[in-house]
Amino acid sequence: MSEEDMISLRPRRHGWWAIPVNPIFRRYACSRLRLRGGGVGVFLAVLGAGFLFALCRSIGFNRTDYDPMDAERTPLIPLMVLQCVILFALGTAQVAGGMTGERDEGVIDYQRLLPMSPLAKVLGFLFGLPVREWAMFAVTFPFSLWGLVKGGVDPVVWMRLYAVLISSALLYHFTGLVTGMVVKNRRWAFLTSIGLVFGLYTVVPQLAKLGLVTFKYLTIVPIFEESLPSLLPEVPASMVKLSQRWLPTVKFFNLDFSEAWFTVFSQLGLMLTFLRMLCRRWERTESHLLGKTWATGFFIWIQVLLLGTALPEIGTGGLFPSRGMGRLIPMMPDRAPEKFEAVWLSGIYGLFSLVLLYGFALMVTPSPDRQLAGWRRAVKQGRSRLPWSGDAATSFGWIGIMALAGATAWFVFTQRVVESDWFPGQVVPQSVAGWMVGLLLALAWGFQALLELHGRRAVFMAAILVGAVPLMVGAVLGSISDSWWPTAVWVMGASPMTLPVYAAGSLLQIAELPASVARAVPRACAFWGMLAGFAAVWGAVSLRASRQRMAQIMLESGEKE
Amino acid sequence: MQTKPETRRTAIEIRDLRVDYGDFVAVDDVSLQVPAGEVFGLVGPNGAGKTSTFRVLATLMEPTYGEVFLDGVDIQEDIEMARRIVGYMPDLAPVPSDLKVGEFLEFHAAAYGLGTRQQQRDRVAECLEEVGMTEQRKAWCAKLSRGQTQRVVLAKTLLHRPRVMILDEPASGLDPLARRDLKDALRRLVKTGATVFVSSHILSELAEMCTSLCVMNRGKLLAAGTAEEVRRLMGNGGRRLTMKFVSQAEAAADWMQGKPGIEAIAREGESLTLAFAGEEDHQAELMAGLVMAGFRMVSFEERKSSFEEILVEVAESNRKR
Repeated sequence: MSEEDMISLRPRRHGWWAIPVNPIFRRYACSRLRLRGGGVGVFLAVLGAGFLFALCRSIGFNRTDYDPMDAERTPLIPLMVLQCVILFALGTAQVAGGMTGERDEGVIDYQRLLPMSPLAKVLGFLFGLPVREWAMFAVTFPFSLWGLVKGGVDPVVWMRLYAVLISSALLYHFTGLVTGMVVKNRRWAFLTSIGLVFGLYTVVPQLAKLGLVTFKYLTIVPIFEESLPSLLPEVPASMVKLSQRWLPTVKFFNLDFSEAWFTVFSQLGLMLTFLRMLCRRWERTESHLLGKTWATGFFIWIQVLLLGTALPEIGTGGLFPSRGMGRLIPMMPDRAPEKFEAVWLSGIYGLFSLVLLYGFALMVTPSPDRQLAGWRRAVKQGRSRLPWSGDAATSFGWIGIMALAGATAWFVFTQRVVESDWFPGQVVPQSVAGWMVGLLLALAWGFQALLELHGRRAVFMAAILVGAVPLMVGAVLGSISDSWWPTAVWVMGASPMTLPVYAAGSLLQIAELPASVARAVPRACAFWGMLAGFAAVWGAVSLRASRQRMAQIMLESGEKE
Repeated sequence: MQTKPETRRTAIEIRDLRVDYGDFVAVDDVSLQVPAGEVFGLVGPNGAGKTSTFRVLATLMEPTYGEVFLDGVDIQEDIEMARRIVGYMPDLAPVPSDLKVGEFLEFHAAAYGLGTRQQQRDRVAECLEEVGMTEQRKAWCAKLSRGQTQRVVLAKTLLHRPRVMILDEPASGLDPLARRDLKDALRRLVKTGATVFVSSHILSELAEMCTSLCVMNRGKLLAAGTAEEVRRLMGNGGRRLTMKFVSQAEAAADWMQGKPGIEAIAREGESLTLAFAGEEDHQAELMAGLVMAGFRMVSFEERKSSFEEILVEVAESNRKR
């Protein structure tokens, strides 16, 4: 081997931290910052930001009730909206579409072959694909800086705000990368990522109002609201400050966090998980997005976050939707939450945990083909078992652990809500915990067994026929007349999605169901819950038999060889 | 004095390689050794398992099981080192649409850490010259013809001076001149000590450029060796003897029945075609016997089964199954 050849073989690792010299970053900087494309983008960003700056400033200076500093602050919020659109919407879409485009063109294999660590590759794509959007953001920033400095905004406030804006942008770009890795069509990846960001700012805040408080920290909204008085001119700022007196501060269990820190903290966990997903895919294309251990840990982490942010809000009443509304209406500051809210909050928590469980099951459950391949490999290597946490191993036990964690969190949440000072004398007996565990285990294992035995297509069909159709039929029946409600309740109970809500309505003494469904809900819950239990047992037995059969065939074929 | 025979280093070693796609077995327990410094061909009809084998070798796909060593490096143990050793040119050789030829190659040169920026540029220029694309350095990749694209990707594959090159159908889309250039480039590469593993479904094309080759079908390795050895193994000896008589072809056919090596006789007018699997001595005896028996021959021709015929036979056997 010549010296020259030796030089080319000597491992020269690209440090993951050296983003500016990361070859993938530079490759996109080269292609996306050309005068024709990047130049036009930057020009449009300057034009837009300049227009907003001039217009808002002019309006501010013309207002008699604004002093010069107020007027300088007027363009800040419109500029921030523009920056959010550039980074969140355009940037995320570009990341997702760009990643899918690499695969469409077939050049992604070249990137796989580069002798760089998966982390360096992920970071190269993360900062490289949206490099034009970062440049567009950078050219709008001087306008904001002018307003922030001349408007006398406390540097700590705006630095915190921009830190969260950047951390949110990175989180969404990570989401875009994962979307681009999973979605096969470039247009779909583009639309899905924009839909995800749009959903984060429209659907997720509604979830936050329904007890799943932690979700609002995936957006820039909390820190923006906190910083609002400093960004606005004096008069509207004082109004905002007044309303903020009733806004809760961030508490995580008994710990106090600033909005900015907690947002970054919440986003960091998600970013790390996305990073793990991407690195796994760069290491091995065929890998599951997450390994079983990480997925289980992440599921538990989400439950901890949910509980940590929700429980401190029970005492203040901020968790309850009606109380949340009442807080904003000065006439009813002391309005107590209704009992049915506690039941709904519990049901929604259970439902969310179930949906999350299904999502994780889809991520970590091996297809029959993957199990077969795993067995072939194991037999070849002289092993008689599959590695317990490998992608080919069954996810049965892992889903069981997740269901237990979900049910425990659901019970703790329900107990703390119902036994709070808002509902004196109400008690949630320990037996409810057993029912919750049983229900979540049955629904999760039934789903997992179907998925592992018959694959995703069967699950998709079941999701339509068992998950959605009963809900649709029930809704139509319920709309006919009040007398049809019990029938509708029974029909809708066939969908696993209703059972956590039914369980909350049946198991909690606090629940005061309307007379028309007071008998139907507990009975439907018991019947469908039992049926789900039988289905889970049957599924588990079939799954075990199928796995044993597969193992036996493979081990015997190995012995013959 | 006895000298110890020189043992050649093994550049590619495949042990019990298997690749499954669900129930479909794409590569079925293949084992193979390729000595260093060879242009080794892999041939087989479509769906034979060539691309799956190559993707595993290139570290792009995890096999169901099996081990692969490139220059002694286990690709599953040290994937980054393996990626420095291997150069892979995929079938259809895609290029990015948003880069120029020079930028595309410079990106790869930087990713492989080939010295300073100037050294990287120089290496890009060398490789472009090697494939005859120097003038296209500033052209957009998307605007290149199929053949030019192939050559640019070949240049990319050469950049980091890989010890093992894996080329999946590199000659497809190339005009005859470019094919000749490709062959020359491969020969030059081999002279530097590199090993080239190249696939094609056109056997004659491989036979011209390879020192050894192997044939795959339905995931299995059917034969491996020099072109001549493979032809003998695959073509059942593979010789056809065609003889033309002045007359009495039918009588000559009767006379030849049962003679050693003759497997089948076909007559067309005064011509006979023999499927012959005997040794050369048998062939000589047959010729002499015919003349001694008084049969008047106009011509006697020996034709070995062509690679194309062998491959067509293999492909047809697949269809029949």
